[in-house]
Amino acid sequence: MPRTVSHHVPALLLLAAFVAVLQFSPRVSGQTGGPVFPSTDNGEWPHYSGDVKGSRYTPLDQIDATNFNKLEVAWRLKTDNLGPRLEFKLEGTPLMVKDVIYAVGGTRRAVVALDARTGEQKWVYSLDEGRRAEVAPRKLSGRGLSYWTDGRGDERIVFVTIGYRLVELNAKTGDPIPSFGKNGMIDLKEGVVYMKDKRIPLETGEIGTHSTPLVVKDTIIVQSSMAEGLRYEFSVNAKGLVRAFDARTGKQIWRFNTIPYPGEPGNETWENGSWEWTGNVGVWTEMSADPEAGLVYLPVESPTIDIYGGNRPGENLYAESLVAVDLKTGKKKWHFQFVHHPIWDYDTVGAPLIVDATIDGKPRKLVAQASKQGWLYVFDRLTGEPIWPMPERPVPQSNVPGEKTSPTQPFPSKPPAYSRNFLATDDVIDFTPALRAQALENLKKYHWEQTPFVPAVIPDGKIFGAINVANTMGGVNWPGSGFDPETATFYTQAYNSQVSATAISADYFKVVDPAVQAKHRIPIWESEHFGKEESFGSRGPTPLTEGLGGLPIVKPPYGVISAIDLNQGTLAFQVPHGDTPDAVRNSPLLKGLDIPKTGQQGIVGIVVTKSLVIVGDPMLTAPPGRPRGAMLRAYDKKTGAEVGAVWMPAPQSGNPMTYMVDGRQYIIVAIGGGTYSSEYIAFAIPQSELKRTTDRE
Amino acid sequence: MCDRSILVCCVAVWGLSSVEFVLRAQPTPSVWDGVYTEPQAARGATLYEKECGQCHGPGGTGGGMAPALVGPSFSANYDGQTVGDLFDRNRTTMPPGKEGQLNGQENADITAYVLKVNQFPAGQGELPSQGMVLKGIQYLAFKP
Repeated sequence: MPRTVSHHVPALLLLAAFVAVLQFSPRVSGQTGGPVFPSTDNGEWPHYSGDVKGSRYTPLDQIDATNFNKLEVAWRLKTDNLGPRLEFKLEGTPLMVKDVIYAVGGTRRAVVALDARTGEQKWVYSLDEGRRAEVAPRKLSGRGLSYWTDGRGDERIVFVTIGYRLVELNAKTGDPIPSFGKNGMIDLKEGVVYMKDKRIPLETGEIGTHSTPLVVKDTIIVQSSMAEGLRYEFSVNAKGLVRAFDARTGKQIWRFNTIPYPGEPGNETWENGSWEWTGNVGVWTEMSADPEAGLVYLPVESPTIDIYGGNRPGENLYAESLVAVDLKTGKKKWHFQFVHHPIWDYDTVGAPLIVDATIDGKPRKLVAQASKQGWLYVFDRLTGEPIWPMPERPVPQSNVPGEKTSPTQPFPSKPPAYSRNFLATDDVIDFTPALRAQALENLKKYHWEQTPFVPAVIPDGKIFGAINVANTMGGVNWPGSGFDPETATFYTQAYNSQVSATAISADYFKVVDPAVQAKHRIPIWESEHFGKEESFGSRGPTPLTEGLGGLPIVKPPYGVISAIDLNQGTLAFQVPHGDTPDAVRNSPLLKGLDIPKTGQQGIVGIVVTKSLVIVGDPMLTAPPGRPRGAMLRAYDKKTGAEVGAVWMPAPQSGNPMTYMVDGRQYIIVAIGGGTYSSEYIAFAIPQSELKRTTDRE
Repeated sequence: MCDRSILVCCVAVWGLSSVEFVLRAQPTPSVWDGVYTEPQAARGATLYEKECGQCHGPGGTGGGMAPALVGPSFSANYDGQTVGDLFDRNRTTMPPGKEGQLNGQENADITAYVLKVNQFPAGQGELPSQGMVLKGIQYLAFKP
């Protein structure tokens, strides 16, 4: 070999290696020439849950226990005029990327871009979908939006409209991306079927979403959901599905049908051919992913007619299950069904949490699914093997005609429940002997057992319903939960006192009776009463709460913040969340009693930082010492001690997020409800309190 | 002349203060004063089942997405406000997708039903449908 070439070979090899590093290390931010991706590590918040793992975590630590009480309102955005009428149910969590806030808001589900320092509006996008939005099952502003970038300047906002269209907007201008779908839009109703393979009508077909698309690398994964309602009259509905699209072009990559077709595994769990007419089984909540493993986790919801299953005998896979699918192909890798033959509305809630822990001395890759029923189901996320046993246990059986309940349900052995899932005798109200006696007397009129999964009854004048806890509201519900990846600690707020009397009225049974449904199986949009449906239920207060003066039948705490150490499978702490409700504090039946802080009913989401768990109250209160309103609270994430609280004019209605820009950390939370119309409110430490920094933290 | 002017002033001041005393002495009506009738609440119940119950549950006990219209959270939202605030909230935002399509009487009847399920007493006179009048009725969670 000539001497000049032999000198150049090592240099050439080095150059080739350098180019290879640049080409194949796209996730390293800040390197010259390489793509740059946003991250909570940079003080940004690029996904609904902070990241694709569902953590709701950021390592920001400027706001801490020493200064939380000094937070001031930095800016606010009222959503009043982002739609045709005022909004009172803003459930959005904004994103922050490159110093710009992106958020949904208003009753038209508009998208706004704001300066992250001041809230000044940069652009707004809104789509008037006419009747398609008026009859949509998932109205109002929804829970948020998503962001995609190629890391080289092509930045897009990705969201789903009320009328179920997937839209991509230029993040800098708010203009639809012409090269995505048709002029920036994909009609997601196309391809949705009911019965075996009938296409749903594009205007009135029942499908939509409140949740955000999951963006994993260059793939956008979109979920589906239908109308919410516990007294649905139709055994037929649109079939749930999850689809993946190319982020640049919108071309569909794969589709996962949540109700298996004949020949597919799981189809046999729909007896009497009920796979054909049953719908729902969507994924209405947030999804998550393990990009390294190439897996996407789908929390699947309930089948058609939440509380009566006579039209769909069988276990009904994959309803109320966690399903892991391949990111590239959508093929199912494993599944676990939380509730067999679902009839309690325990639909799966919140993003599955992608946590790495050390269990029995070994590193384990987990996926942890929170639920309405107070249990955290923890699996090996690659294989689906439960980390701790979940034995099948016998449960009460239904006596409603046509209902064939599962003889058993899985009961996780570990970790302990983070909130109640049945009404224990010891948990019945006992502020006074008289109240407890009244409650026990009321409970004699119900089918009450010391277990979850008590089936609904048809009231007969003596028994008015079956006592269940958390089966509609939770436990955990749409706000989901979060975790600290540094310590493998799960955190959640949970509603700890939702007691319901599950009943199927005789009038309702006449409608859902399989013998009646079989004569004329149609979906709601083919009904002559479409848009004018009535509900079935009692017309007044139930005997369950008689004589209790409006007090809950169950003891406090009414709402909690719970933490679970996933390395041990143990409860780290559980504390009441929220001031004692006014109705309890001021109750004439409790006059003279010293009632400890009870926490509040309701469901709210959290954000986790380097040292804090931050979450607002779900209720308005007016205790002595402050104006009527709600508090945004900070808890020490190691101990659960409340270390700070700031006043808000209305309760939290959307999950908080936090970000940093120009060396200042902000927290944004959506608030509203009652007579207070919705707004995003941004808090920060006063400028005068900030430590001097020269570099962005 | 001066004495007469003083007398006129005194009478005027006395008269005004008497009117003010009378006005102050009139208690502001509240939901505890029987501001709806049972037949009105029954009409409201029928309308509630048709327009509201699918989301807000039987008897206002709540659904998954729509909050309860009874209980501590609901009473906290309106305690210290007025029936007019509740009426206007319904009139302008409910039911979603059909806002403003129920007429004033229907909204008043549904509001009456909500008062009933919150265990406020019925009375002799129907709840009116004029927002300004309803703004004069206090919503108090506990009987004063």
